[in-house]
Parts: sequence; structure tokens; C-alpha cells
Amino acid sequence: MLGKGGKRKFDEHEDGLEGKIMSPSDGPSKVSYTLQRQTIFNISLMKLYNHRPLTEPSLQKTVLINNMLRRIQEELKQEGSLRPVFTPSSQPPTEPSDSYREAPPAFSHLASPSAHPCDLGSTTPLEACLTPASLLEDDDDTFCTPQAMQPAAHTKLSPPALPPEKDSFSSALDEIEELCPTSTSAEAAAAATDSAKGTSSEAGAQKPEGPQESRADDSKLMDSLPGNFEIMTSTGFLTDLTLDDILFADIDTSMYDFDPCTSASGTASKMAPVSADDLLKTLAPYSSQPVAPSQPFKMDLTELDHIMEVLVGS
Amino acid sequence: LSHASLLRPSDIISTVEFNHTGELLATGDKGGRVVIFQREPESKNAPHSQGEYDVYSTFQSHEPEFDYLKSLEIEEKINKIKWLPQQNAAHSLLSTNDKTIKLWKITERDKRPEGYNLKDEEGKLKDLSTVTSLQVPVLKPMDLMVEVSPRRIFANGHTYHINSISVNSDCETYMSADDLRINLWHLAITDRSFNIVDIKPANMEDLTEVITASEFHPHHCNLFVYSSSKGSLRLCDMRAAALCDKHSKLFEEPEDPSNRSFFSEIISSVSDVKFSHSGRYMLTRDYLTVKVWDLNMEARPIETYQVHDYLRSKLCSLYENDCIFDKFECAWNGSDSVIMTGAYNNFFRMFDRNTKRDVTLEASRESSKPRAVLKPRRVCVGGKRRRDDISVDSLDFTKKILHTAWHPAENIIAIAATNNLYIFQDKVNSEMH
Repeated sequence: MLGKGGKRKFDEHEDGLEGKIMSPSDGPSKVSYTLQRQTIFNISLMKLYNHRPLTEPSLQKTVLINNMLRRIQEELKQEGSLRPVFTPSSQPPTEPSDSYREAPPAFSHLASPSAHPCDLGSTTPLEACLTPASLLEDDDDTFCTPQAMQPAAHTKLSPPALPPEKDSFSSALDEIEELCPTSTSAEAAAAATDSAKGTSSEAGAQKPEGPQESRADDSKLMDSLPGNFEIMTSTGFLTDLTLDDILFADIDTSMYDFDPCTSASGTASKMAPVSADDLLKTLAPYSSQPVAPSQPFKMDLTELDHIMEVLVGS
Repeated sequence: LSHASLLRPSDIISTVEFNHTGELLATGDKGGRVVIFQREPESKNAPHSQGEYDVYSTFQSHEPEFDYLKSLEIEEKINKIKWLPQQNAAHSLLSTNDKTIKLWKITERDKRPEGYNLKDEEGKLKDLSTVTSLQVPVLKPMDLMVEVSPRRIFANGHTYHINSISVNSDCETYMSADDLRINLWHLAITDRSFNIVDIKPANMEDLTEVITASEFHPHHCNLFVYSSSKGSLRLCDMRAAALCDKHSKLFEEPEDPSNRSFFSEIISSVSDVKFSHSGRYMLTRDYLTVKVWDLNMEARPIETYQVHDYLRSKLCSLYENDCIFDKFECAWNGSDSVIMTGAYNNFFRMFDRNTKRDVTLEASRESSKPRAVLKPRRVCVGGKRRRDDISVDSLDFTKKILHTAWHPAENIIAIAATNNLYIFQDKVNSEMH
């Protein structure tokens, strides 16, 4: 948190962000509105998860910050729902893909335990994966490869008979990764014009707990918060294990059980499924969870195949 | 009258409360100490020094504790002090930290018996051979000694942090409220309490609202009010049900759409609620305003006063540095005609409900020479600036007046400015009345 000593000077930058809500639909003001929203979102996350007090944090403060995050998330979800959506023929349930998407170390940034290196490459490609396939139409050069693969992954991961497909899929993904080594930088460049995409890693540092498919439908705006909302939505911010134990348990010993290697239900999200086996394991707890009220990412299989063909160059 | 000290965090005053006659003023601090001031009786010899407050007693009320289960400290900070109505020569008060409420009895001893037959002055047994006659011990005056002893400890009643306590008008019970629950205690019984409000959801993920303050009605022992982080007030009747989850009245003001922002909810959170002395009104404080509510009208407050509306454009910064979560208290004067609350930069504000005039005053060393008249201050928000105006950008947000108290009958106010206590008296009738 910023130091409180002495007299405060308010940044002009912050001043520009202050003030009343502007309608998100306004053209030029939309950027500042979304920038403000992004800033507030990031501040809120930092407040919740960077704070390591010796005493219990104030429940009121936590609840208010959580409400703020939820509100922003709802807003973004609504905005995302306005965008054109790929209507899939067969929808995979949300959870499997969610758990798959939890993999990225992007979200392990602040959450201490999840430090599994991801087979699928570095953080950013996976972030790119989380952009909606619709962006493929907007932006060919950057978001194509990993994104296209990810949606395919979602659809393929859901059915129980996964392992063989996943294996082949993972290897296909690896090939594609090699094909698009610059996706990271390219996407960063593309996002530069968007609101604060670069902050996504830090901002996203939540414990991944079931990211929503709606991400895929979201606009580039949402790119900057790749998994945050998804992570938040399904089970809520309040279920972050570390904080949850401190805040909400009357008598709570699960904090002492918490161990990225041994914890099971609910904490499966902390494990980054990096292999097909891991994915299978993580699928189980989530299968019983209700689908969060967000739109699952839906991708037409034929479109996916088409995209894959284009990318793989077959 | 102020007691200054080096700024140690433990010296930060965390609560201020006059007793029912105004003779005593209690302060609690972050270090778990309670300091009680007593008003000197008016002296005919020195009429100008009448009614000043001097330290009467100091004691350690709470100690820090450690919750081993959660590996967290339990602060010794005194959150609230409430005086019990005086029923005999002794004074009693309740003090609470986040978890434990204690009943303290304060007694005076100003005489001691002298002339024991078997013991000498120091208490040693006399040599019986020296005792030749019987004497009746007599009470001789001694220097006043104030003795404080804990009479009851009400522990383990709260899972969450206690934010308020309130003594019932029946003088037998009191309530304590934490973020999610309110308990009713009997003053003589420490091993059990009744839970009268519980807003904890079955699934903590669904938690979106907490209790922020609560108070018993001053006259109706069955009525109490509690406020929430969403800006609502609930008046509950204990006669209606054992568990007062259903409110009798819900006081809520609809949001002003023109003022809507990301921070609307946070600034609507009620940080303090106080019944008027008459019992007819309630006073609430949220981040930017104080509001007066009529118990007979739930739809909206009857009066709203802007405390520091110039902060409305700074809410993002105030959110970032956590100032937006500061919990300011509010107070009525004895006749319910003036309300008072604190602000930043050691400013505090008073609003006259009748004349609709308001004033901003500062609690600082410079402005508080004895018998100096406080000069009204002004915060300018751009435009014409007068000589002594403070601009919004130079306000010191570390100097916040969260705790204020008003003498129940006279125009004497106690202002806690971080670690300093200021007591201002209004000797001459001013325009504020």
C-alpha cells in the first residue's frame, strides 16, 4: 500500500481516473473508464492478497473489496456477453476446460503454492490462449496459434475418454508453440493499446479455482485479466485457501493441511495440470461442481479443425 | 487540556466516552489501556478553572493474546467503552477489544482505618505485652486512591471482531456485536450469551454484507438498531422473536444515480450509528456524510450533512491508501440540536440542525492554547481561496479524528486526535446552540 506519511499529493493520473462512472459505451471515455476499472481491480486484488497481517484482517474491508471485484467482474461479463459468440454444437462442461486453463503459472504469481511449470510454455502464450477465438478474426498474427489450440483443448478435454486425445493434442500444441515463438511479444504489443494488459500476470495472481468459459467471449479488454475473473467467479474470491482459512473458519485447521502436493478438493486448482494425468485428476473434483453462471466457451468443432489446419499448415 | 506523548502506536486513542453525568470521561487506546478523566468540581475560589478534566485513573484493560489455532494475534486495542449507569458509589464500565468484553468496577478509597489493637501502622502484629487498653479504630482521611478491578470477563462469545457494545436501558443486559452476529449478555452472567442476530450465510462465499455498528434504544429496552456495510439500518424488536433476523424496520436510502461510482457501496457503509437522546432519531455516519433518520420514516433520512464532499473526486486514491475504510464516529449534543463528527487533517465538523449552519474546527496544539477560541477552518476546492484556507491536496490524511464524544448535558466535547485528547468547553453561549 502506498505510504501514508505526510501530506498526500494526489497523482494527476489518479485524478484522471476518479470521478463518476462513465457509460462504457462512450467512445473515447470508454478507455479511461475501463482503465479506471482495471486499476481499481488491480488495487483490489493487491489489497486482498498482498496483505499479510499479524492480526486477522478486517472482515468488513475484505467483504467490501470482494464486492468491488465481483461487481467489476459482473460488468465485464456483461460486456463480454455482448460480443459475438461462437455457438458450439457440443459443449464441453465448463469445468474441465477451466481446470485446464488453470494450469498457467500466470496465476501462480501471487498464490504461493502453485509453482508448477507448465508444459505448454510460458505464461503469456496461455494468456493468449484465453482470448476468445473471435479475436482470430480481428487479429491474425498474434492470437491465432495458442488460442486456437486452447479451444480445441476444451472441447476435447471434457469427455471422459480423454487421455488418448489429450496426448495427441498436447503434442500438437507443442508443435504449434514452436511455430509461434513470438506470440508472447506480439500479443503484448497488440495489447499495448488495450487497457493495461501487461498487468494481467500480477493481477491474475489468484488461485485458479475454476475459471469461466466466458473469458473466451470477452473482449480484448478482458485479455488484461486473463484468468482473474474466471478464477474468481466460480468459487468466489473468498475461497482463496489462505485467506479463507484466516477469515471465515470458526475453527479452521485446513490451513495447516494446505499443501500444494497433498491437498485435494478445492485446492486442486492450485495444482497446475501439466500433463494429461494431472488433467484427469483435476477433472474429477470439478465435475461435481455446478457450472458457474457464465457462458461457457463454445467453439464449433469444425471451425476448430479448420483453424488447426490453417495453423499447422496441412 | 491535552496529554501529549511521543507518538507510539500503542498510545493511539481508539475510543472516547463520557459517563452518564459527564463527570467522568474514559478513553481507550491501542495498547489496551483505559484512562479515566474526572471533571474537577467547580471551585468558588478559581471560577475560571472550573470544570477541567484531570486524570482520575489509568489501568490496563486488555492484553494482547495469541490465537494459536489461526496463528494470529488478537489485538489488545480497546474498540469501545460504555459506562454503566451508576447505581452506588462505585462506577462501572464495559471495555472491549476484538474478542473479549470486561466489566470494570472503579471505586474510591479516601479513608483508612487507623488504631488497630493487634496491628501497628505498618500492619505488623503488635507485641501483646505492649497492648494495655482497647481502642476503637477510626477512619482517617487519606490521599484519594482509585481502585479498579475487573468484575466480569465475557469471553468466547465472538468468532469475529467486536465492533460495538451497548448497555440496555434495563441496566441488566447489554449487547455486543461483531461482523456477523449480535449477542445479548446479562451483566452478571459470563458463561453464556444469547445470539439475537446472525447474518452469517451458510456459504461464506455468499457473504456480501457485514454488521458495522449497533446500539440499544435509550428508552425502549426491547429495541435496538444495527447498521451494515451496505448502508442500511435495521431496527429490531426483541419481543418479536428470540432471533431477531427479521427486522422490524429497515432504513435504507436509495442510491443517487448521479453520484454512482465504483465506490458507491464502500462509501455508503455505515461506520457509526447513535440514537438521539430523545430516542426519536438516529444519527449515522458514512464516509462522506452524516445523516439523521426519523424512526418513523424508513425510506430516507430526514437530514443529510456533507462532511467532506470534496473527497468525492479522490475516492480512488483514498481506496488505494485504505483511507476509504476509516470508520468515523458521530455524536449528538445533549439537546439533540447539534451533531458532530470528525474528518481528516485533525478537523472535526459540527452541524446545527436548527440553523442549518455548520463549522469546521481543528484539534491541534497551535489552535488549542488554554481558553483560546477555536477558529473555524475551511477547505477550499479551487476557485477563490482565502488566506487560511486549506486546499484539498494538502490535507493530512494521517491525522484523522475518528472518535469524538459530547458531554451529555453541557457543551463540552472530547476529541481524540491520534494520540492526543482534546477537551473543548464552551463557556459562553455561542451561536451553535
